[in-house]
Amino acid sequence: MNVNITLNDVAQNFTVDPADTLLELLRREGCFSVRYGSDSGETGASAILLDGRLASSEVILAAQADGHRVDTVEGLSAKRDDLDPVQAAFVAVGGFQSGYSAGALILATHALLADNPSPTETEIRDALSGVLDRETAYVKAVEAVKRAASVLRGEATEPFRPAILAPLTDGVRPVAYEAGATAPNVSPAIPRLIPSTDVPDMAVVGKPELKVDGVKLARGNPTFADDVELRGMLHAKVLRSPHAHARILDIDDSAAVALPGVHAVKHYKNTPRVLYASGGQSWPNPHPWDQVSFDNKVRHVGDRVAAVAAESPAIAEEACRLIKVTYEVLSFVLDENEAMADGVAVIHDEADAVGVHDASRNLALHIKAQTVSDANIEKAFASAAHVFENTYRVQQVQQTPIEPHVSVAWLDEDERLILRTATQVPFHVRRIVAPLLGLQVKDIRVMKPRVGGGFGAKQEMLIEDIVGHLALATKRPVRLVLDREEEFASSRTRHPQTLTFKTGVDKNGKLVAQQLNVTASTGAYGTHGFTVQNVTGLRGLSSYNCPAKKFDCHVVYTNIPVPGAFRGYGAPQAEFALECHMEDIARSLGREVIDFKRQNWVKVGDKLDIVMFLGERGTLDPADVDPASFPPVMTSGIEECVAQAMRAIGWHRRDDPSWVAPADRPHIRRGIGFAFCMHGTAIPFLDMGGCSIKMNDDGSFNVMSGAADLGTGADTVLGQIAAEVLGVPLDDIIMYTGDTDMTPFDVGAYASSTTYISGSAVKKAADVVRWRIKLRAARLLGVEEPCSIELHDRRAWAPDGRSISLEDIALNSLHTEDHEQIMGTGSHVSHECPPPFAAQFAEIEVDTETGQVTVVKLVMAVDCGVAINPITASGQVEGGMFQALGYAVCEEFAFDETGRMVNAEFGPYWIFRADDAPATEVFLVQTMEDSGPFGAKAVAEIPTDGVAPAVRNALLQATGVAINQIPFTPERVYHALNSRS
Amino acid sequence: MNTTLVYHRPTTLDEAVRLLAPGVVVLAGGTVVNAGTRPTGDVLVDLQALDLSGIDAPTAATLVVGATTRLSAVATDARVPSWLRDLARRELPSSLRTLATVGGTVIAGGPHSVLLAGLLACDAVVTLVGANGSGEVALADLLEELATQGQTTQPRIITSIRLDIGGDANAQSTARTTADVPIVACVVRRTPKGLRTTMSGVAGTVVIVDDVEALNPPADFRGSTEYRRHLARVLQARAITELGVGQ
Repeated sequence: MNVNITLNDVAQNFTVDPADTLLELLRREGCFSVRYGSDSGETGASAILLDGRLASSEVILAAQADGHRVDTVEGLSAKRDDLDPVQAAFVAVGGFQSGYSAGALILATHALLADNPSPTETEIRDALSGVLDRETAYVKAVEAVKRAASVLRGEATEPFRPAILAPLTDGVRPVAYEAGATAPNVSPAIPRLIPSTDVPDMAVVGKPELKVDGVKLARGNPTFADDVELRGMLHAKVLRSPHAHARILDIDDSAAVALPGVHAVKHYKNTPRVLYASGGQSWPNPHPWDQVSFDNKVRHVGDRVAAVAAESPAIAEEACRLIKVTYEVLSFVLDENEAMADGVAVIHDEADAVGVHDASRNLALHIKAQTVSDANIEKAFASAAHVFENTYRVQQVQQTPIEPHVSVAWLDEDERLILRTATQVPFHVRRIVAPLLGLQVKDIRVMKPRVGGGFGAKQEMLIEDIVGHLALATKRPVRLVLDREEEFASSRTRHPQTLTFKTGVDKNGKLVAQQLNVTASTGAYGTHGFTVQNVTGLRGLSSYNCPAKKFDCHVVYTNIPVPGAFRGYGAPQAEFALECHMEDIARSLGREVIDFKRQNWVKVGDKLDIVMFLGERGTLDPADVDPASFPPVMTSGIEECVAQAMRAIGWHRRDDPSWVAPADRPHIRRGIGFAFCMHGTAIPFLDMGGCSIKMNDDGSFNVMSGAADLGTGADTVLGQIAAEVLGVPLDDIIMYTGDTDMTPFDVGAYASSTTYISGSAVKKAADVVRWRIKLRAARLLGVEEPCSIELHDRRAWAPDGRSISLEDIALNSLHTEDHEQIMGTGSHVSHECPPPFAAQFAEIEVDTETGQVTVVKLVMAVDCGVAINPITASGQVEGGMFQALGYAVCEEFAFDETGRMVNAEFGPYWIFRADDAPATEVFLVQTMEDSGPFGAKAVAEIPTDGVAPAVRNALLQATGVAINQIPFTPERVYHALNSRS
Repeated sequence: MNTTLVYHRPTTLDEAVRLLAPGVVVLAGGTVVNAGTRPTGDVLVDLQALDLSGIDAPTAATLVVGATTRLSAVATDARVPSWLRDLARRELPSSLRTLATVGGTVIAGGPHSVLLAGLLACDAVVTLVGANGSGEVALADLLEELATQGQTTQPRIITSIRLDIGGDANAQSTARTTADVPIVACVVRRTPKGLRTTMSGVAGTVVIVDDVEALNPPADFRGSTEYRRHLARVLQARAITELGVGQ
């Protein structure tokens, strides 16, 4: 049928199938700003303006739009330097991160301001409620809307930059809390920056530079993995298991193969059996290796059975329906605490799995670490004046990036396999996928375009082998996009764990022994089971000084969807348990909680002993390790963090009975909770980043890094580092990242490593280039000592004030004399892992009659060293806190009696929207970490660590009831309160 | 693989009714019909050209809401009581509220719909047109029919919903977060005839509640039967208190 639509002011006629959605039509017509997030309209990533109203285009048939006006961001600005005021406002304040839903946010703003030029914050949040953003806390998007409204009203706006606050401490010692003191009144979107005197002022680093990719994202340019169309492209669909555990006795694909339009069907009977581990980690992947592309067994509902490539998604779906699978259904187990029991079905009974600790007991791994011998542990506990033991449970949740997993594969003119894929780890993907496809690494190019959020879900070789198999079989391009239900059921999640802390304390409140026992579920496959649980041990036993520590962890197989890497990577689990446990100890001892924790938390100079006994290079026997080799903490801004955040949250109110129990709301109790947070920065001796930089004719630079920007602002931060070294504005840096053919190696975006590791590689490469520029400048300026040349303001300067432009230097080197491509490379591996620190506070209200917990405000003060870009850094903190908030209060996988997930949609699963977001404040406390580029430490993951325990501790303080299981859903809280009474 | 889908956009009600047949899917906003898998019917009848959108206020205490009126229009029309506007806003986020219609919300009959609880509290009467002519049915009866028989009956088209908006009302709810779909929502409306309580989350559809203790809510992962019954008691009591009843 034909439809007439006025698309971005142009009347057009389109031929469509009646079943086509408007989303499909618009993308076919090149409006790539309109993006897929779900089939239900819930994410709003596909939102357009339909006759001026914001509307999710995946729930509109193209036929319904006949006769209507449709607007997308492609129609807003004709040129990249001519953004409309709303686009410009979002770019100015960092209103989006990955930008996957940037178009929708911008259009939502247009729809609002067209009717209401001066909206309230509530109205703004309501207008944005239809666009889910997993990356931010919406706080900067709200600021962008306010800014755009001001501009459209003709008002002047101030540059968006951090608020510089005076320190409250000397950086080392705590200060007495001043009840009633108030923090400066600044917009919540603006980070509060507390500078350190030992950080020099710099031209680009530390400045609120605009994101290098902001304009293209605001304009909706085709930049994500799925924003490509190739001639003859086939569409893949995956047939998935309806059973939690079953053996596949037979597959009959004849009807599917015979369906017109089907080009290939792959399954265990026609695919080589090559074992692998899907986690995107350094070579060699930690055990167990317990996966193959297609197996004759399924181990969770949603597990792979077969894959089809066909002319259209609909044909591929129909072909999946035609595949006849004969299953032998087996019993299954979902609870990690039941997985090792006698009589439970063995999940990995195949003979060829590698590195499974005890398959007969579903024990994938048994991880142990201790800083002293067993005898000394026992002795330490025996010496304690008090011994405390508590058990905690944390649930399975998902990263839920709004961009699902997307991969497109094709053979290039040399018949090499090209994988354009949404991944955090392009180099790991290439290495892991090669043997599965019977190819060598050199036969494959992995290109990571823009990634629409990952949070660990894309630190995985998840679907690239499927499109690879199908592309090799068909010799045609093949595209696979997971739908939202597949994302929930078959991508990756956070490991559920049961954690027991046992701690001995002496009569003065000092820890003398600490033991952490964990049972963790790695679901159907091992993937990140080893490393995530190692981080649980590391984070659980690093934050507080203690002379005797022991970690014992059983990582078990179950029949739940597979856990893997998820921002925080084992730390949120550990820190929930640890910070609750320490709170409980403080209360039992009658100690003020921050004072008790402060007495024990690690400080500058303290040794991180457990580090040496965990991870891929951990040592089992304490006798083998020289305590002098334990890495020390070199920088910590925790006291300033605590002081700033206490003031901002109004800590004293928790002791005011009239505040805790407001007289006019008798069923409400209020509380404020605290969590001390410490994380890591990259993986020492393992995480490696590489970078190359070349100079162009005009004095600009191409920076080619193997790193992966998932929306984190990494491209901007790496560009700022290069610009600072090379003496140019950020505008002169052209970033290109994550392409295995074109960029140097990098492990990828995980472990809070990009700024620290990849940034150091960029700095090293830039140092090389800088030296080459200095040499040539010295010659051209007649200066004997190249070292005396300085680079700034796009020029090379001699000590006597004469200068030459970088453009002239480039032209000279490329075209005039002694020809040379000025370029440099750098690689970096760290031997250190400097911890960022943070103070997390949460203010809550609990309805004692219903159990509903409402988080009113979150305040986090973070010591991340020098924030290379305080705007993007604060965005990381805001977004991380919000993910952690969902972990604390609402997100949880729920299963029916067959093992099927029953809430595999955003509505029933629920992630926070703009209109139910609590207030937030972010403080960035500078310290100068000498091992990091320009003083930087990590910031990406620590915001996920403290929210759940801070909320729990606030709840405890408000009600006197300790709830040791998250999420704090109304019924769980109600029962806990009720059982007390 | 739905390659046989036929799309109609009738311009008169008569034409639309003539198109109705078993298996035909009536399409209003599309937020339910088009969500997830593609339309399962072979024939779609899109109501958008039938001029069924708009809100009339024939009396001070009566509203007639056209079936294809968007929830966003209900949420912003000053003639709609503020408590009901809030429920329309709460029903769906901004990118779906502009598509979803009042008639579609009724036909979807969602047991967790806060807007349906509000409409039910207003003694809503639904006007339907089908092959057998037109008629009115109480919303409560229609929801009961939909809950027990599903969409298997002869397709009909809702043309309007009449609401009694006299008196005042209070809505209460409990959810995991402030914007989440409530586990239980309760609306108590006070009129000269007395109090009417309606609830979502306590039965297979939104219901009028005469006796909280008689409820037997279906359990799901967000709330057990007993917990939902407890919420029903608490929320009803709160709503009544907020209305100042008995004070």
